[in-house]
Amino acid sequence: MAERNILDSLGSGLLVLDARDRVSFVNRTLAEMLHITPEECVGRSAGEFAVVMARFALPAAMPRFDWPEASGSRDIEWRDGEALRFFREDSSPLGAGNESQGGGGKGRVFAYHDVSHEKAIDRMKSEFISVASHELRTPMTSIKGSVDLILSGFAGETSPEMQELLEIAQKSCDRLVRLVNDILDLSKIEAGQLKLNFERLDVTEIAVRAICAVKPLADKNEVRLRVDRPLPLPIVEADPDRIEQAITNLLSNAVKFSPPKSEVVVELSSDNLWVQCAVCDQGVGIADKDLHRIFGKFQQLSEGRRRGGTGLGLAITRGLIDEHRGSIWVESRVGHGSRFIFRLPIAAPPSPNAPALAGEAVNP
Amino acid sequence: MEREVKLTRVLVVEDDVDIQKVIRMSLKLRGVSEVVLVESGTECIERLSGFTPDVILLDVMMPHVDGYETCWRLKQDPATRAIPVVFLTARVQKADRERGMKLGALGYLTKPFDPMTLHDQILELLTEHAGKKNENDGGADG
Repeated sequence: MAERNILDSLGSGLLVLDARDRVSFVNRTLAEMLHITPEECVGRSAGEFAVVMARFALPAAMPRFDWPEASGSRDIEWRDGEALRFFREDSSPLGAGNESQGGGGKGRVFAYHDVSHEKAIDRMKSEFISVASHELRTPMTSIKGSVDLILSGFAGETSPEMQELLEIAQKSCDRLVRLVNDILDLSKIEAGQLKLNFERLDVTEIAVRAICAVKPLADKNEVRLRVDRPLPLPIVEADPDRIEQAITNLLSNAVKFSPPKSEVVVELSSDNLWVQCAVCDQGVGIADKDLHRIFGKFQQLSEGRRRGGTGLGLAITRGLIDEHRGSIWVESRVGHGSRFIFRLPIAAPPSPNAPALAGEAVNP
Repeated sequence: MEREVKLTRVLVVEDDVDIQKVIRMSLKLRGVSEVVLVESGTECIERLSGFTPDVILLDVMMPHVDGYETCWRLKQDPATRAIPVVFLTARVQKADRERGMKLGALGYLTKPFDPMTLHDQILELLTEHAGKKNENDGGADG
């Protein structure tokens, strides 16, 4: 009884499903969220309970009682009359050690934490950044436009010294624009407001597009770019623009840190579960002590700043890959170069009723 | 018959005076003979009585009547519907772009823009538009 009181006094909702997918426990907080008593919940099947929850959880965020073994977490929207709230659903298996409780140590526990306040703050932060981005762009437009026009000779001849100083202003303004763009992107990712337009696609095409985008920089730095794809790749479901942005970020970094006459290779491969993309350079490499912070915000190494980076590219890249339920990591050796590798899950086969997609039947 | 794509008369709707100047210089530099500047959506609509530019370059964030509302009004009025509208705005998010294009704009350019290529970008949009119109007219004829 004491345990029950403790669990009932928690601010978060709790639900336990037993090994047969039946509700074995609901605390008072969750029951109140559902406008029923805990006793009315116990003994129901997961399916029946999902129907009760569906009165509140919006359809796209239906409770997932069929999650795999591993723990998971996601945000769900909860509508109760006129009120819209947000809950974070944490789900984990009931592990070893519970055998004595019956059910053979199987089953799952779900916790529902009210994150409406955090969501509201995220939204305010995102709106602030969006407005700040607009407000910053307006004076930047005037500065960049004026400097560009003077440099074009429109306003008369400039001395070599003036030319050099104006080029510094131009370069700094371009960097400021990149910084504002990156901050806007990262704030959207962090607020969970990045809208992805998922399509079934071959990552090879996206990698080729990214290479075209980075080629001018590579040519300037005398770095060769190449795609290495031994076999046709399985299809993934991804937002082509955002994956191109991720590969472009990795390629730009690789080119910036590569010595002249070296090569940057995009290696594409796959296994049963993943399509893998590795961007490999022969550059300066990253010291072991720096590897853990390389994907952090403004964690660029001093060399990166000197080369015009914003310090947000890798944080954005990681955010984009995470949003695709993929993973990203780096392997590096000082003096030998780096490999930035990300993986995206292979798409499930299209349903038989779905229209065939152009380019999908690529495997010979 | 091929339509000739002209870019000699531009109506710029922009509430920031400095940006107005940069746009005007950038277009004059490339031979646009008439660049008319107005500061609001309301002024834009008023200015169009008796004046038909080759394109309207339209900012979004302006007091009272914003660029989206202005574009909507222009596309509702048979007298102004056919005038090509190109947004030039600091609203850079995907949703903003989609909203602008849904209102019937020809293009959506973002700030800061490159004053050396602004003219070419607008001309390209107008050329593409004219090509599509030719195709449609040809289809209707045939």
